[in-house]
Amino acid sequence: MTRKIVVLLLLLLLPWIPIGDSMNYVLRMATMSMLYMVLALGLSVVTGFIGYLDLGYVGFYAIGAYTSALLSAHYDIPYWIVFLIATLTGGVGGLLRGIPTLGLTGDYFAIVTFGFSELIVLIIRNEVWLTRGPMGITGVKGPSFLWHTLSKEWEYFYMILFMLTLTIVVIKRLQYSRIGRAMLAIREDETAAEACGIDTRRYKMLAFGLSASFGAAAGSFYAHWMHIVHPDMFYFWESILVLCIVIVGGVGSVSGIVLGALVLIPTTELLRVALLALAQWSTLAGVTFISQDIVNARYLIFGIILVLMMRFRPQGIKN
Amino acid sequence: MDWQDILDKSSLFLLQLTNGLTLGSIYALIAVGYTMVYGVLGLINFAHGEIYMLGAFIAYHLVSAYNVPFFAAFGIALVVCSGFGMLIELFAYRPLREKRRLVALISAIGISIFLQNLALVIWGAQQKGFPSEKLPVFFSSMALTLGDININYLQVFIFVLCVVLMLTLHYIIMRTRIGMAMRAIAQDARAAALMGINLNRVISFTFAVGSFLGAVAGVLVGVYYNAIWPTMGYTAGIKAFAAAVLGGIGSVPGAILGGMILGIAEVFGAGYISSAYRDGIAYAIMILVIIFKPTGLLGKAEVDRR
Repeated sequence: MTRKIVVLLLLLLLPWIPIGDSMNYVLRMATMSMLYMVLALGLSVVTGFIGYLDLGYVGFYAIGAYTSALLSAHYDIPYWIVFLIATLTGGVGGLLRGIPTLGLTGDYFAIVTFGFSELIVLIIRNEVWLTRGPMGITGVKGPSFLWHTLSKEWEYFYMILFMLTLTIVVIKRLQYSRIGRAMLAIREDETAAEACGIDTRRYKMLAFGLSASFGAAAGSFYAHWMHIVHPDMFYFWESILVLCIVIVGGVGSVSGIVLGALVLIPTTELLRVALLALAQWSTLAGVTFISQDIVNARYLIFGIILVLMMRFRPQGIKN
Repeated sequence: MDWQDILDKSSLFLLQLTNGLTLGSIYALIAVGYTMVYGVLGLINFAHGEIYMLGAFIAYHLVSAYNVPFFAAFGIALVVCSGFGMLIELFAYRPLREKRRLVALISAIGISIFLQNLALVIWGAQQKGFPSEKLPVFFSSMALTLGDININYLQVFIFVLCVVLMLTLHYIIMRTRIGMAMRAIAQDARAAALMGINLNRVISFTFAVGSFLGAVAGVLVGVYYNAIWPTMGYTAGIKAFAAAVLGGIGSVPGAILGGMILGIAEVFGAGYISSAYRDGIAYAIMILVIIFKPTGLLGKAEVDRR
């Protein structure tokens, strides 16, 4: 407990460490990592608690981001209401997707969730009248609370820190509650759980809705933090990256997932910087066998991580 | 509506049908790879689409960089991809065979991402095409001209090659010892092993055959659309999987039927409904089939395995 308080205090003080110009960069990295922690914790409600592989999580992330961006572009309503509507829309989306997929098992569920998220991104890309399609929505306002509009990096940092803390509390409370135990029972053996009197359909729907709400909430933050939404921000890769965090951390382990995001997100960034340098060097040195697109290849490492984790440590680093 | 109008409409229809059949036979080739692996292992081989992409790239690389004649490059690509398929099985799936199915599925996704990005590193994100002067001349000459409809020999070649491969595959599965072993494993792997069937050897063979067919599809698509890019396996893979599901996963004739239906549906959907949602048609069909008729058109009802 004391250790957690120390960690929290350190986090609260992070924006005030005097390291000068690179502070914004560090803060952005920290904000990004925490955003992915929220996403991964949300995904873990389905993938960890009830044990269903959700390959379309990015769909709810996109729903949250677009709902939020569109609402604040067209209507003058306070951000916290926009945020709530976006979260609810995501949750309803999760429930709607849950209805037809409730009876599916294992890999069929995985592939259908994947199909759904692809359709969502396809709709976003093509319904230009609503989403502006491939042009994206630019100039999304920063979130405003009462009279103050967030604009500085450290303000976003605190906002996502608050969201993360809330998420962790909810997930932890859920884990040790009656509902959480019922969900874990579904993961271990759905038939046995049903035989024990657990209403599996109800708990599965609950997990779908809850998980999707977290995804949409994170999406809303993302849209207002980046000030832009674009269909390319919601590639299938994002689902995989989030899944990778959950897998590395260990399905169902909150601290594992936090650690997983803390390792993987900065790694992605470091790889991006390193590969960019490599590409620039190869241009200067006239090396031709390195393609300039190598920068985009940082996802390569996630493929290797997934395979190796499944082979040697399918339960994650913490479990 | 006068005669000319009807003639125009029907020739457009026939043109779409030929395009649909060409695309459909390519989907069928990939779908067979999914369905065979699913039949023996119960695994969605997510990396299958990447084999298809690699097939196209390897043939392209040999033709454009090393001046290898097209058909030789085609052959080499097929052999290399069969080897890749076997290696993937050996490293990423075999050690996980006793674990839960989702573990192997995640490993498959990992392989798929790895190969896709590897292709991105080696060949770049830009679309590539086979240099037309190095393709056989007869590909672009017209086989049949009926009014406005032109069918070139490439389309005929694709269609005939697919039919020949499918018949060969049917022969292998139904008439040879290893085909019989495959069917036995599909029914009950444990019992098959007890009867003295070498599981590893047969599963390797299944992957080799599936990858071979996938690579054929990759090269054919690369030539047909004259476009090869690193993420081409991703959409094509999902569509072919949709085809396999539509036909009934685990059933080879089903995969062929599903591929044909999906190819035609996609071309007609893009032509008559909305070309922007071209890819969506396959996804929608897949979702609807999984939800309402998970056994597909020709599949057998299966006990729930997880």
